[in-house]
Amino acid sequence: MSASEKSTHKAPSSALMRLAAAGAGVLMIAAAGAFYHASRMTQPQTVGEVYRVEVGARACEPNAITVAAGRNTFEIHNASDRPVEWEILSGVMVVAERENIAPGFRQTLTANLAPGSYEITCGLLSNPRGTLTVTPSEAYAAAAARPTLKAFIGPLSEYKVYLAMQGSALVSSVTALAEAIEAGDLEQARSLYQAARTPYNRIEAVTDRISDLKNAIDPVADYLEKREEDPAFTGFHRIEYGLFSAGSTDGLAPVAEKLVADVTALKQRLREMKLGPEDLANSAANLATRLAEGPASHGASRYAGTDLAELSDNLDGLAKMAGLLKPVLSEAAPDVARDVDEKLSATRTALDTFKGANGFPTFDKVDEAARKALAKSFEDLAAALSRINQAVGLG
Amino acid sequence: MHMRHLFAAGALAVLLAGPAQAAGEPSLDLVEPIADYKIYVSEKLQKLVADTTAFTDAVKAGDIDKAKALFAPTRMSYEAIEPIAELFSDLDASIDSRADDYEQGEKDPAFPGFHRIEYGLWEQNSTEGLAPIADKLLADVKDLDKRIADLTLPPETVVGGAAVLMEEVAATKISGEEDRYSHTDLWDFKGNFDGSRKIFDLMRPLIEEKEGEFVTKVSGNFDTVETTLAKYKAGDGYETYDKLSEDDRKVLAAAVNTLAEDLSTLRGKLGLD
Repeated sequence: MSASEKSTHKAPSSALMRLAAAGAGVLMIAAAGAFYHASRMTQPQTVGEVYRVEVGARACEPNAITVAAGRNTFEIHNASDRPVEWEILSGVMVVAERENIAPGFRQTLTANLAPGSYEITCGLLSNPRGTLTVTPSEAYAAAAARPTLKAFIGPLSEYKVYLAMQGSALVSSVTALAEAIEAGDLEQARSLYQAARTPYNRIEAVTDRISDLKNAIDPVADYLEKREEDPAFTGFHRIEYGLFSAGSTDGLAPVAEKLVADVTALKQRLREMKLGPEDLANSAANLATRLAEGPASHGASRYAGTDLAELSDNLDGLAKMAGLLKPVLSEAAPDVARDVDEKLSATRTALDTFKGANGFPTFDKVDEAARKALAKSFEDLAAALSRINQAVGLG
Repeated sequence: MHMRHLFAAGALAVLLAGPAQAAGEPSLDLVEPIADYKIYVSEKLQKLVADTTAFTDAVKAGDIDKAKALFAPTRMSYEAIEPIAELFSDLDASIDSRADDYEQGEKDPAFPGFHRIEYGLWEQNSTEGLAPIADKLLADVKDLDKRIADLTLPPETVVGGAAVLMEEVAATKISGEEDRYSHTDLWDFKGNFDGSRKIFDLMRPLIEEKEGEFVTKVSGNFDTVETTLAKYKAGDGYETYDKLSEDDRKVLAAAVNTLAEDLSTLRGKLGLD
């Protein structure tokens, strides 16, 4: 492993595998002397060859590498006189990197690479970057077509973050609404009503699963025996009824206070909620179906008529869910990924055609034919979303 | 059928219906700690944007003393989330690159970011010519905040980050190389340390039962570092690097290197290699 050892593009793999194994276990003695720096003690098993790259003062050698998609191991030899980090870049994103390689030392890096064109860094920031071309491989395609559990951890985590953020936003927005009601400020309460529902609508796909709180937060009079007079008529629509139909904040303060308590409890439940890989696409498809059959066809906020704005918030939430699955889906089934994208933007367009200078009109201004067309776009979206799970091997 | 399946789905039912979990595969239990980590990162970024705003304001106002006082505390939030922040190569370079990354070192006109300002404040004792660099730094930090908000964190980067941060300390902080003009390395050290320990603490419940010995050893070394660093607390922050005694430097080096080595096995223990 001398520094002068000639570097070759693809050296015979058995000798290099030994080198790589030795490199992985080696403890580097850093320039400071007393401090050594641990490299990864356990290298994942690598199938295939080890690619050697020498980073010199001015460039990488070789400066253009081609590998097959999948797990690839690189051995980086720092032949310059400064510490270097070696990175594989996709655009500005670092796909994999090995940092702090001391002058004269070798380090290995293993990365699971998707087909495509990448760049590699070569020492000084002003040095030209090298290229890394990853060609499609059957093994990679087969693995991508059936993603493992690991592929869903990132999207599910990110969705939990989204739920946490929307949960907090909901508590704030409902608290503001409750304060206006408490103050008896009808105009202010009316103007805050729809915005107060925004975070709820964005996460409605999963709040549907929390039935006790959903029944307290979002019941509609039609499903209650005594309709608006029913004691179980609580939550958002009870407030909507008071503000927009009765035209008064009278008697709404306790309802608003209870709603604040319920959305606060909801926020906590969302934090505790366990989601599985299937849940994102399933919940999204179910909500899209329900929106097509209900609000988009007949309206649901019948006193305020804010349905279009609410559907718009619902759609934002659906787009978030689909967007999180997109990286996995695009690799496993690009046609399904495209279909979902198309249906999302078609639904967005269908909604936005109603939008005027003052935002969305009330739902009574939307005629029967327009309602049908809108419902159809949500129905098509539901159909596209319902294909996702099978396409990523969760069917 | 769809609906019933969805509503009945507790975590267990979902797991059974989900993709096969082979031996050595990660568990869905990672979802919660990784979500919590993203929230931690967001909070650090919020603080970074606020602190960088105050820091760059001071630089632009020509207030050298204030700018010097704000330099190290501002960097701590960045150092704590470095494994994620450095995922964007362009911003990593423009925010946190060192003079060594440039052909002409400090004199290189392309040398940007925190360390360029650090060089101006401490070596040149001047804010002259730093205003555009300060503006760019603030814009980059805001851009970083926005990009990370939209980023799905790769689980292996999060878990691997615990070791990466300790390696970073070993390679650049214990040597006093990072903040070579201001000698505020111990602040950065604490930032890296906090970020590493946060990741470990979030993952701990997932391995505690099976890896009790490992958990005890790692916690012990974290405690050693924390106690040793605490000796150098001064005001809201830390003494300059040159105050670090040779004995303490050795204690820190040993603990940090052991932590880097031990934590590098964390990914494997969680099925993420």
